[in-house]
Amino acid sequence: MSETQENTASRRNALNESHVWQVYARRKYDEPLHEIGNVMADDVELARVYARSIYDEFSWVEMVLVPRETIVTVIES
Amino acid sequence: MISKRIDNAALFAMLSSLADNKQAIGRRYAYWCNGAPALEAAVAAAAMTQDELGHARTLYPLLEDFSQAEADPQQVEPMTRTLHYHLGTLDQDFAGWCDFVATNFLVDTALTTFFEAAQDSSYDPLRQRARKVVQEEHLHFVHGEGWVRRLAKAGGAVRKTLVASLQKFWDETLCWFGPQDDPTMQRLQNEDVIDASPDELRSRYLAKVMPVLNSLEIEFPVAFNATTKRWELTQALSWENWQASSRRLEQA
Repeated sequence: MSETQENTASRRNALNESHVWQVYARRKYDEPLHEIGNVMADDVELARVYARSIYDEFSWVEMVLVPRETIVTVIES
Repeated sequence: MISKRIDNAALFAMLSSLADNKQAIGRRYAYWCNGAPALEAAVAAAAMTQDELGHARTLYPLLEDFSQAEADPQQVEPMTRTLHYHLGTLDQDFAGWCDFVATNFLVDTALTTFFEAAQDSSYDPLRQRARKVVQEEHLHFVHGEGWVRRLAKAGGAVRKTLVASLQKFWDETLCWFGPQDDPTMQRLQNEDVIDASPDELRSRYLAKVMPVLNSLEIEFPVAFNATTKRWELTQALSWENWQASSRRLEQA
């Protein structure tokens, strides 16, 4: 691969989202948080915007994001 | 019962401009609801489209309350309106995602700066709407800022295209606040509809966008004055093509 092609590829990669954020939310205070889905974003602020706009079907009382790479597997499926 | 219409040409003109700009932004955003670079960004674009068109939809009905609307009632309905008081740079479709991001970051933030100045407005309907708009616009700014950072850091042609888009909207967005002696804005400030002059609004606006642009080394004729702790234009704006009635720059 030529240097130019490498630069182009690296710039394209820079625009690809690589971090997955697990989205947890709850609708009532007496409910626990539960996983409602995930979003992909490199930037935590963009991840917040994406989570709010994608998972807006309910009036959540709480929504949090957890970076997937921080999840520790205890029992593998 | 005959309700008395409000006779205030300045407020009528500004509401028309705000509504037209929100409507134009919403329509331009709409094209990108299925064309954004990522699924998440497309959904965010759809949500922002709804917000922008929603803002326009809450502003247009206010025009009916003004005596200035009597001369031509079709101008108060977005579907029949033939006057366009949005920025001239929004006349054309976005050339790409960078135009979306530049509009999101620069143009929409300018409108939000105005709404922030109207949160304690003496004109109740604007005050109520301003507070809601400001609340919703917070997420839009975060989206715009996030994408400006991503595209700028990608470097090469991506960064160049972003900078070109930002430059395209820069002058007209700053001019939209009007010259310092703009009679429309002077009246609005004198009547406590807003709490700032055009220069003060521009300064508040620069305080939002310049830290981001400066950190990314994207250059515009603006410098930080350490004494006043404000970002200041280092090059006077050109008012040659400024149209006071439509609050836009018309190409000669």
